[in-house]
Amino acid sequence: MNPRKLLFTVAAAVALVATACGGSPTTSTGNETGTLTVWLMNGSAPQSVVDGVNADFKAKHPNVTVNVEIQQWSDVTTKLDTAFAGSAPPDIMELGNTLVAKYAAAGALQDISSKKGSFENSGTWLQSLTDSCTYQKKLYCVPYYAGSRAIIYRTDLFAAAGVQPPTSMDQLMSVGQTLMTKNGSDPNFSALYFPGKYWYAAAPFVWDFGGDIATQSGTKWTGAINNSQSQQGLTELQNLVSKLSRADKTGDEAKQDQAFAQGHIAMIIANGWEVGVITDPKAGDPTLKDKLGAFPIPSHNAGQTAPVFLGGSDLGISAKSQHQALAEEWLGLLAGSKFQSQMVTVGGVIPNTTSLVSLSTGLPAIFAAAAKNSRFTPNSPNWANVESANVLQDMLVSIFTGKSSIPAATSAASDKITTILNS
Amino acid sequence: MGVAGDARARVAPRPQAEAGPWRHVWGRRLLPYALIAPAFIVILGVLGYPLGMLLWLSTQHYGLRELFQHQGEFVGLQNFQMFRVDPQFRYVLSVSLIFTVVNVGLSMLFATGIALLLERVSRAVRILLSAGLVLVWATPSVPAIDLWQWMFDYEFGVVNWLLTHLGTGNYIHHNWFENPIQGFAVITVIVVWGAIPFLALMIYAGLTQVPRELVEAAEIDGARPWQVFARITVPILRPVFLVVISLSTIWDFGVFNQVWVLLNQRPSQDYFLMSVYSFQESFRVSQFGLGSAAAVITIAILVVVTFAYVRQTVRLTEEAV
Repeated sequence: MNPRKLLFTVAAAVALVATACGGSPTTSTGNETGTLTVWLMNGSAPQSVVDGVNADFKAKHPNVTVNVEIQQWSDVTTKLDTAFAGSAPPDIMELGNTLVAKYAAAGALQDISSKKGSFENSGTWLQSLTDSCTYQKKLYCVPYYAGSRAIIYRTDLFAAAGVQPPTSMDQLMSVGQTLMTKNGSDPNFSALYFPGKYWYAAAPFVWDFGGDIATQSGTKWTGAINNSQSQQGLTELQNLVSKLSRADKTGDEAKQDQAFAQGHIAMIIANGWEVGVITDPKAGDPTLKDKLGAFPIPSHNAGQTAPVFLGGSDLGISAKSQHQALAEEWLGLLAGSKFQSQMVTVGGVIPNTTSLVSLSTGLPAIFAAAAKNSRFTPNSPNWANVESANVLQDMLVSIFTGKSSIPAATSAASDKITTILNS
Repeated sequence: MGVAGDARARVAPRPQAEAGPWRHVWGRRLLPYALIAPAFIVILGVLGYPLGMLLWLSTQHYGLRELFQHQGEFVGLQNFQMFRVDPQFRYVLSVSLIFTVVNVGLSMLFATGIALLLERVSRAVRILLSAGLVLVWATPSVPAIDLWQWMFDYEFGVVNWLLTHLGTGNYIHHNWFENPIQGFAVITVIVVWGAIPFLALMIYAGLTQVPRELVEAAEIDGARPWQVFARITVPILRPVFLVVISLSTIWDFGVFNQVWVLLNQRPSQDYFLMSVYSFQESFRVSQFGLGSAAAVITIAILVVVTFAYVRQTVRLTEEAV
């Protein structure tokens, strides 16, 4: 090879590399080194999605190591508190949407308001998730995915009992009672399995009758779970639970999918992704795959659906992170169209943008539809404390076990909510 | 060896003139302190520092923001005053005290019984029994509690199944934790189960020290077994009993895992013992000041209890000297 030709080849190669790099938006050159620590929650992103994001990121930043650590929901707040108090918290963390306000208010999260435009689909993010990321008009996280609850039911048991999915709360009761009678010989049978502490499945009943958890006027919160509409919703629910459920009245929903897979349950109120747990070959029963259906929780007004809690997760960047730009880039990949589409098709969740919701098919589409009528918990930094103090869970347990009456239990809970939210 | 050699050299009287009075004073007065200094510094580091931090934290308003910025706000004794008005705290305190008394009592009763049994059974049975005790003791507490949790499970628990099949009633779907008294009974079973091995082996070790002749003499004089136990065994074992009762009190007043793990880390307020309350306030509600104040009260109560133990120990040592 003569020198001239060599020079030409090198020049071409350099040009090629330069063009390839031209697409990257930020100042990142690909020479950065270091470690990016990411905390994702158990069950959020399928492994293939995480691997895909890492591969795309690695292609641009071959010298950066990405550590994706999976956290458990049960003890994550304690872990986050400890991590944020230390000097090296994770760079990126998935936060349940009810937790963001607490950490944003405490100064743990980076204000990314000025970067909003650089994230793909930021114009079409789900409103409720964007709201959960917004604290005092500043943006502290990027919506990740949403989840809403609907009723998962056994189509075969419905067919055997000759009933159709109900379209009102009264019908839910009558369908449930038919199922209870039809399966009367099974002492473990629940038409609607409802563990006592399952607050997020109880909230739709409260909201449907016009009740609420708390209301805000100015900066002051007032507990509303004891107002007459809230009580009406809880009375309706108590009635359903006492007649249709043999679930543990003091238990939580953590094991409801395994219980459902045992075959003695006709309906559960569940998130879309729980279908995967029910049919999991190890934890559940794969033969149920073709026997599952879903319908939104019906309203007491026939033909309408009850408002559901829009759960979900956001992705935040730690204020103490040493790698802000890299963190934004990794986060942008996971929150962008390519991997959000996979989250929908592989993970079965509701994506962070309305532009991709139509990708949902089958059962996930029903959950996505149920999310259209959705509500959120009081957006206060202290809300997480109401959750961790188990105020609403304890209230439900008292009601279902008959330890206190609905008026007494709700007014005690309402006082606590008022105190905690205003503290 | 170097340190020991050095020390001996210093303790040895040195008549030489250059030693002087200063050296003498150093050797006689300060040497003991120098010798305990390493242990003292370690204790100060691992016990004193956290304790000091706890006391300081209990006088602070210390929430999440303060935690992340490492900067609290001094509020004096306000955290302690909160407890005066909080009916929840009064419940927690009284439940903790009752729970401790019941658990220490039951642990001691069973442990003493098993220790007496160990003394009387044949060698083979004794080895089997001791091995069983050590195995219980060696089981890490969290997996052990998980096993108990499965046994008392609402839907799939073997306890409900067994009780139903034994014909003691219908225990299908019986919830052991719906009624806090039943729930605490289950927790007591687990705590006592875990406490017995150590206590029984300690008491058994003490029993082997009871002079055989004394017991025989009493028996010849016509003492009944119960009288021998009350008049001879118990007085001789008093120091051992004192130690194990004090330790049990400290452990049982601080019970945490049994409640926390058994109730899936979300115990309802009925199940709040002092430790759970303190943890909940600190790490769940992020009121680290309040949580610390609760911990300080726990320590204060334990100090009062263990003071009796320390005083007795000192007294017994003096008697022995």
